Amino acid sequence: MSELKPILNALRRSKVGAILLLLQIAITTAVVSNSAFIISEKMTYLNQATGFVEKDIFTFQMMHFGNDVNYMRQAELDESTLREIPGVIDAVIVNAVPLSGGGSSSTYRLQPTGQKSKGLNASIFEADSHFLNSVGVQLVEGRNFTDSEVVVSNDYAQYPTVGIITQALSEELFPDGDALGNTIYRGDNPVKIIGITDVMKGPWLKLDRRDWSVIVPFVMADKLTQFIVRTQPGERAQVMQQVEQHMLSSNRQRVVENIRGFEDLKAEYVSPDKLTMRMLMVMIVVLVLITALGIFGLTLFNINKRTKQIGTRRALGARKSDIVRYFLIENSVISTFGLVTGSVLAVLMAQQLMKHYSLAQLPLPFIITTAVSVLVISLLAVIGPAKRAANISPSIATRTI
Amino acid sequence: MLTMNNINKVYQTDMVQTHALRDFNLQVEEGEFIAVTGPSGSGKTTFLNIAGMLETFTNGQYLLDGVDVGSLNDNQRADLRNQKIGFIFQGFNLIPDLNLFENIEVPLRYRGIKATERKRRVMERLEQVGLASRAKHLPQQLSGGQQQRVAIARALAGEPRFLLADEPTGNLDSLMARQVMELLEQINRDGATIVMVTHDPELARRAPRNIQVVDGQLADFTLYQGNPAVAVGA
Repeated sequence: MSELKPILNALRRSKVGAILLLLQIAITTAVVSNSAFIISEKMTYLNQATGFVEKDIFTFQMMHFGNDVNYMRQAELDESTLREIPGVIDAVIVNAVPLSGGGSSSTYRLQPTGQKSKGLNASIFEADSHFLNSVGVQLVEGRNFTDSEVVVSNDYAQYPTVGIITQALSEELFPDGDALGNTIYRGDNPVKIIGITDVMKGPWLKLDRRDWSVIVPFVMADKLTQFIVRTQPGERAQVMQQVEQHMLSSNRQRVVENIRGFEDLKAEYVSPDKLTMRMLMVMIVVLVLITALGIFGLTLFNINKRTKQIGTRRALGARKSDIVRYFLIENSVISTFGLVTGSVLAVLMAQQLMKHYSLAQLPLPFIITTAVSVLVISLLAVIGPAKRAANISPSIATRTI
Repeated sequence: MLTMNNINKVYQTDMVQTHALRDFNLQVEEGEFIAVTGPSGSGKTTFLNIAGMLETFTNGQYLLDGVDVGSLNDNQRADLRNQKIGFIFQGFNLIPDLNLFENIEVPLRYRGIKATERKRRVMERLEQVGLASRAKHLPQQLSGGQQQRVAIARALAGEPRFLLADEPTGNLDSLMARQVMELLEQINRDGATIVMVTHDPELARRAPRNIQVVDGQLADFTLYQGNPAVAVGA
């Protein structure tokens, strides 16, 4: 039996409760769909492949405090010391550590300064030919640096003119796939592309240039040097424990600091995003609970208010299932209006978030999934009170209450 | 039409057992108009509720139009109520959020009657009670007497053979009460069986048969109009 029309009419005549519930459902839909989208974006961001075997790699810094140190010579000595530690696969001195949130970047263009051409801001890693092996990243095309290409110097005038770039950068700059052997320019300085690497994240996971990196065969050691060490699987903890002792054995006028596993670097870098994600999840749960409780409470209130009416309906021939159906239909009507309003609100909210927080466009499936979920939760919340209503005795119709 | 044999109704709480009806026997024939009187708490409403299948009885036998009510489940009782019985309540029990048309339509919807047929029946009943022009009004826009007429129209909409009226004039002034009573008498003349619970002796006197419930048991009197002194014991 369809009661839709009289239910609609009845709702139109006493709208306050219904409108409050409708607004609650609308706001829940709008906030939850946007939050769910943000969470999903964050999850994608947090779970993105970095290209590194994070659990086998660590990094540390060396701070020299002696004045009579030849940093360049010390750096080469340190590298070979590290590579000889049992369990170490490779080690390298580098200007910037991936996933760390710190490093350098520059714009690389297809043409030198003065000529209009496509350019992209990419991270720069300056290291010798051990870099790729030390971070466990493979070349997909071309070759690694030769020893003669590596410049060990403090003089930027000797800056190398060859480089290895990431595949993502090569695809952006050379969509035709002809990056290898081509030249890109940092200002007026040319960099001939001799190799292309597989996926490799840069220092900033959050930024657009996370996948765009250029590796340059330039080693510059100074008071503060950074190392990346890759160990055999399962050997890292042991090597991390020994590294300070090995480093200080050749020169004690320095300190080893910030010995960190790669996954810790990443965890620290993404911790604000993890926190945001957890807060959003809590907010979703709280909001949905509040909505469900609101529906539950309002239905109970309606039942208490309409006890006599329910008894009368039963007296007039309503089965228990008719009473349950009545409340389910009533709730579905309110929910449907709420969900439509909520979906519009969700889109408007998403537009504002896009404008102010550079978020991607909210995909429709998020709104649909949220709307369906809210509808299901809303119906589940109403079933208990509706069954209670169905158990109201028809004899209440003849009693004075 | 209605036969009750040794009906007992016991309300059981943790501490107290209350016998609302005790070995209650009653036979109502097709087309009768019966007034049920009795002091407060005597079991009148319990009788009416059991007669209307609004509540179950503890033991005994109740046959409504040949159907053994005791053997029915909740859904079957609801369906039988819908088909056979029309209720008129003291407080009218109209649904405040529905207009008159929709109110009268309620039992027809539960019976699954199609919209065009529902409309025909509702308008016919509204005309019968003289409120056809106010079909779109809400109950609260009507006087008490008018509301009770709508309730009667609702009770009649399903064309029941059996009308149960619980103090139908209890909330009305005497003029309106008389109008409602006249309407009930007309309905009875048209063929419906009516059982009416009332406090009002004057109203009871207008019914051809009076029964009195005292302490959950029945004292049956048949009153002949114009000669209230003649009574035949049950």
